[in-house]
Amino acid sequence: MREYKVVVLGSGGVGKSALTVKFVSGTFMEKYDPTIEDFYRKEIEVDQAPSVLEILDTAGTEQFASMRDLYIKNGQGFAIVYSITSLQTFQDIKTMKEQIIRVKGIENIPMILVGNKADLEHQREVPTSEGQMLAQTWNCPFLETSAKNTQNVNEIFIEIVREMNTSPVKEKRKCCSCVLL
Amino acid sequence: MPAQEGEDAPLLPPDTPLKIMEEEKPLLPGVTVRAATPERLVHLCVESFGDDGDLIDDSEYPSVLFLMHKWFMTSEELGKAFVDIYQSCDETILCTKPGCIHLHSNKGCEIQAYKAKICYAVRYWITNFPVHFDLDTHLKSVIRKFGTLVNSEGNHMFKELIDLSKVPSYDWMRNMSVRPGNSMRHNRKVSLVFNHLEPLELAEHLTWLEYKAFRRINFTDFKNYAMTASLKDNPKLERSIALFNGLSQWIQCMVLSKTTPQQRADVIVKFVNVAKKLRTLKNFNTLMSVVGGLTHSALARLAKTNACIPSETQKTMMEYTELLSSNNNFSNYRKVFNQCPGFKIPILGVHLKDLILLHTALPDRVEGNLINFRKMAQLSQTLKELTKLQNHEAPPVCANMDLVNTLRLSLDLHYTEDEIYELSLAREPRNSLSSVSETPSTPTKPVVFADWLAGVSPPDPNTINKHVHDMVEAVFKNYDHDKDGFISHAEFEAIAGNFPFIDSFCVLDADQDGMISKAEMKTYFFTANCHALRNSFKHDFHEYTYFKPTFCIHCTGLLWGLIKQGWKCKDCGINAHKHCKDLVVMECRSKQHAACNRRLDSVSNGPSPHQDLTYSSKRKMSQRQKRNRVHVGTQTEEAYFTDLSRHINGNWGIRDKLIAENKQLKEKLEQSNEQNIMLKSHLGVIRKNTIAFILEQMDALNIQRDTEV
Repeated sequence: MREYKVVVLGSGGVGKSALTVKFVSGTFMEKYDPTIEDFYRKEIEVDQAPSVLEILDTAGTEQFASMRDLYIKNGQGFAIVYSITSLQTFQDIKTMKEQIIRVKGIENIPMILVGNKADLEHQREVPTSEGQMLAQTWNCPFLETSAKNTQNVNEIFIEIVREMNTSPVKEKRKCCSCVLL
Repeated sequence: MPAQEGEDAPLLPPDTPLKIMEEEKPLLPGVTVRAATPERLVHLCVESFGDDGDLIDDSEYPSVLFLMHKWFMTSEELGKAFVDIYQSCDETILCTKPGCIHLHSNKGCEIQAYKAKICYAVRYWITNFPVHFDLDTHLKSVIRKFGTLVNSEGNHMFKELIDLSKVPSYDWMRNMSVRPGNSMRHNRKVSLVFNHLEPLELAEHLTWLEYKAFRRINFTDFKNYAMTASLKDNPKLERSIALFNGLSQWIQCMVLSKTTPQQRADVIVKFVNVAKKLRTLKNFNTLMSVVGGLTHSALARLAKTNACIPSETQKTMMEYTELLSSNNNFSNYRKVFNQCPGFKIPILGVHLKDLILLHTALPDRVEGNLINFRKMAQLSQTLKELTKLQNHEAPPVCANMDLVNTLRLSLDLHYTEDEIYELSLAREPRNSLSSVSETPSTPTKPVVFADWLAGVSPPDPNTINKHVHDMVEAVFKNYDHDKDGFISHAEFEAIAGNFPFIDSFCVLDADQDGMISKAEMKTYFFTANCHALRNSFKHDFHEYTYFKPTFCIHCTGLLWGLIKQGWKCKDCGINAHKHCKDLVVMECRSKQHAACNRRLDSVSNGPSPHQDLTYSSKRKMSQRQKRNRVHVGTQTEEAYFTDLSRHINGNWGIRDKLIAENKQLKEKLEQSNEQNIMLKSHLGVIRKNTIAFILEQMDALNIQRDTEV
């Protein structure tokens, strides 16, 4: 079974952990213990292929600049989240792709753009078209989601697995060269 | 009897509100409640104590309740709840002892036994969480009144139990900035120069700073962060994170300040050795910051430098990266951390993440309005670890205050991620052989990654000013051997090495006499820092008259007096006493916001040739906005005064005269302001171009030298 490491990035308060919780909660309904080893692991089937996802949720560590670098180094696919109710959070992530490229040292990175809190339509500050446009320039899929209504939550992770499958990452080699440098 | 209420609950008719839910498999010993009303929680706490005052079966329930109560009620409310139970004991507790008149002298009276347990519970609270009492005057007065009540019943033994006089002072927690305590003045002789510093010394002093900043963060700060995911109004947590990021950046700058790959590799080796010592000191937070700095993309890409690092050092680095890796939910770190006994500093970020996740996943209240105590028990495990340092007397290190002052200032320096990355590109430019793929971004394009960190600002100039003062005094104490108030150029150069990249712009020895005076050095560091800070984080305090009771942001005390009671910041509107205003360590939010917008705009406006223009014009604009704000401010003030004067004497003539005069003055002010701004922007453009030119030339020279090497 293939294992995928997905990093969830975005400013504080956009609902990253809510998305993560919704996604992994199926297996841990009774007791939440975010300190155990496989809390952030989940098995899903994408296009008939069973796969294991490990989610690296950056919630709470957004302000720690050097920790973010370590997260990115560890990740293979990236879900970049903003809140449709806050233009600021959308502005914040505009430079994310470039930073990931900088850290990973490769151009072709599996990622997905996510506009969360779609249930709060009346507070919307970021139009859907803006999100689509950014996704187009990044050349990545785009989803509007709601952790509250469980709208499109699993889809984020299914899409990102697809992305990781389609871009045959030469990461192995890159990773090694990074270490050797 | 209250003890039976809980067991009866499931048998009650369905429309009766539930008061308690039991836990099937307790998470912690003694924590058998899953959810309950606050009153039931307090009862359960009392019942956790035996007649002799010891905990029954070493229950952890009371410690969880006392640690976590601020999540759902104030300490004052909890204190009052104990008093209420005490007072209603006579009715709610059934004493089965025949002929008992329920006085404290009656041995075996069940009412008296219950009252004793209440006092034991409060005593447990006071002895295990003294910080709650020292910092909360409301709670203190509740418990004092409780003492009087107990005393009035003639029960001196109980009164003794809930005595507050032995609570230690937590005064240090009220201060935001870390100040050297007198007790820490060890006369250990150390060098203040980075090159001469031993890794152990560096690690110990970093640990000292970390310890001081970390233990100041209190329960409420953690709670607010978990709930809002924002650092707004959370200066202590912000300060600690600034220290964390400051250290990572300092390391990167120290490495990048060296011109040859070998020199850079030497600095890296030194910091890896510091990391080793930090691991021995069990200071995981600083270790994370050091490793984060060393593995940062700005350093990781330096191929020539990394080729000079000995394999031993590389191995150690790999080991630590592995230890702190986020893989498997930080399982390596968690294992090692849990096994460490004694003094240890946890990785703040990892545990903050746990808090946020738990708070997102679990509701505070369940089944109507019962407090979700299972959540409290889970949160308590993380919070216990995070607040443990508050009760730790001192770290296992002795600190030299002079070195602490020097280091502290070094870590105050603030750069954007982008500035550092460009420096890295200048040191070792990308080339076709490099494994990094073809330039994803042009090096000159100003991408401001720091905006993503908008929550954390560099320290404000007032703090820096203090830090500069302390540091310069420290330097002169150690290096001015003949005590004439001057040090030599060479000594100064050595010290300045701790502060990479700020020395290129200023001429220090102003009077060219070859010696450096204290004043020259202070001016130098302060100007250099202002440059690094872009001068936009200072509060603009002015004297102010308040028309309703207002409190000081620093000491939370009332601003006394009839007029001009305090000082108000023109930009962000915070208020402070005259004597407190210089101690405020809180960023000026409105300016911060303006600064962010400015940077964002200059990004969207494209590459560098236009940048200077946009930059200065934006600055002009933001200053104009500021001026408008001030304008509005004076108008409202004027309105207030108008009202006041009308009420007092109705003397219209004077008022009109004053208004006319005021208007005139305002116009004059406006004019001079405009002139001032124009001159400033001219100056800014000129300075910027000059600096850019100098930098370019320097970089070109360095690159030439590098390639020769």
